[in-house]
Amino acid sequence: MSRFLRFSFRDADLPPLSCRIGRRGRVLDLPLIAWLTLIWVLLWSTFNLANIITGVIVAAAVCLAFPLPPVDLGLRLHPWGILRLAGYLLYDMYTSGVKVTRQIFAGVPHRAAVIGVPLRCRSDLMLAAVAVAVSNVPGGSVIEMRRATATVFLHVLDADRPEELEAARRQVWRLEELTVRAFGTADEIARVAEPPPPPQLTAGRPAP
Amino acid sequence: MNVWLQLLDTAGALLVLVGAAISLLGVIGMLRLPDVLSRSHAATKPQTLGMILVLAGVALRLRSGMDLATLGLIAFFQMLTGPVASHLVARSAYRTGQIDHGELLFDELDEQLTDGK
Repeated sequence: MSRFLRFSFRDADLPPLSCRIGRRGRVLDLPLIAWLTLIWVLLWSTFNLANIITGVIVAAAVCLAFPLPPVDLGLRLHPWGILRLAGYLLYDMYTSGVKVTRQIFAGVPHRAAVIGVPLRCRSDLMLAAVAVAVSNVPGGSVIEMRRATATVFLHVLDADRPEELEAARRQVWRLEELTVRAFGTADEIARVAEPPPPPQLTAGRPAP
Repeated sequence: MNVWLQLLDTAGALLVLVGAAISLLGVIGMLRLPDVLSRSHAATKPQTLGMILVLAGVALRLRSGMDLATLGLIAFFQMLTGPVASHLVARSAYRTGQIDHGELLFDELDEQLTDGK
């Protein structure tokens, strides 16, 4: 058994929280398998031993059939941060629903614009998470994400008022901080604790 | 006891109704707004809110642990995948020139794309 299945706490060569099948076989990520098993059990809506066992088997088979590159995603879970992010997102989704509805029924059409907001975090996972979070709240929908400069480009519906643009930017930075504090590594958290980048990079030009 | 259950049922039904109404508003917005990017606002945001309200209403009527977890899973994946879809629509619309640039007040992405950076 110890030859066939080796866990990372026995073998220092393996990445943390993983196990290797066979002598030179695939490396399986244990948190990923646990997550897939959880989804399997939830999809069946019955919590019993048989479901958990089949879930583990299916998850391991999926991981073996479609292997992911063994990289450290830089995902850390901070429970308090996740709670704060979830609460903020729910509240924001409510306000954004109201806001978009009001814009739909406003008689005068608003002038829209595309703005670029530079972010402070750098890891791919954090950039993606921030983009998803931003899409769910008012202010803008994400059009483009520039990885090299870590800039997110938003479409803002009512851009004809400068304070709305400023609010959209502040919103993105606020969400970035919350997201990284919920899922980021210590390194990224230190990065978002700093004030946002200076405005000369971002200043929207005045209306023509 | 029975009164409380009835109250929960009524509250659940109300939430489902409100959620469906908000989703309907999103559809009306899609019809009323002028271009792809504005419509993507209307298609995603009220719809996500409506979806979560419907799920909350269903949760109030079902009231059993495992079903609640499944509903939570639905909400989680909805919030995770909705933005990806809307982003892809917006991105492909932008890149294929479906955007009327004259309608935009200003465009910080266009400058960067034409810079060739």
